[in-house]
Amino acid sequence: MILLLAVVAGLAAGFIRASIAGRRLAVPTLSATWLVLVGFLPQWLAFFFPPVRERISGAIASAGLVSSQILLLLFVWLNRRQPGFWALGLGLGLNLLVIALNGGWMPISPETLQRMYPGRPADSWVLGQRLGASKDVIMAVADTRLAWLADRFVLPSWSPYQVAFSLGDVIIAVGAFLLTWSLGGNKGGQHDTQRI
Amino acid sequence: MKNALWNASLLAGKVDARTMRLFWLILTLTLFVLGAGAPGSDGGHAT
Repeated sequence: MILLLAVVAGLAAGFIRASIAGRRLAVPTLSATWLVLVGFLPQWLAFFFPPVRERISGAIASAGLVSSQILLLLFVWLNRRQPGFWALGLGLGLNLLVIALNGGWMPISPETLQRMYPGRPADSWVLGQRLGASKDVIMAVADTRLAWLADRFVLPSWSPYQVAFSLGDVIIAVGAFLLTWSLGGNKGGQHDTQRI
Repeated sequence: MKNALWNASLLAGKVDARTMRLFWLILTLTLFVLGAGAPGSDGGHAT
């Protein structure tokens, strides 16, 4: 949800930017977009599609997550010269690193969960258990490798939607914003963009 | 798949090629951030 907000905000900013300058949107031509479709498919099955999500084992789901993110990283590399892709790749790389070093799941600590859900008893979080249907597993900070890359940031308590996110997520959001913001820029003369 | 969607939309005459390019970019970026990001939430079950 928070990452999609970055896409929406960047698109809005790009439209406004183009409108103010009297330009049409410049849409870059991305290479190998099929990698995103193929790469996202395992995650869609493992985390977003209930009939499959409820049947597959944690080992298969985590393997799907890691292999999926490797394909997405390849997509970033093939498009590394496009605006914002340095941030998309850095953020994804950081997430993939901490996930790979912690058993194929994004770690989240009981302390972070307590900040998200202050009304819930502190001892209700079971170490090693998955957090709902997310990509997270509950781990003690002391047992987490590269804990500073884990899901450790939370939204303000007044937010109606509570979610924890990582440094990698923040950088991915920056990349998504930069890419969509660039649509309103003045690079329409390049061969790999087309004005709309 | 991209080409199939693209051609179907163009043949239907509802959108032009440039709009399809923007649609495809947004779809690709949306799927990318959903796959690359790893925000944690229990879906509201704990609240």
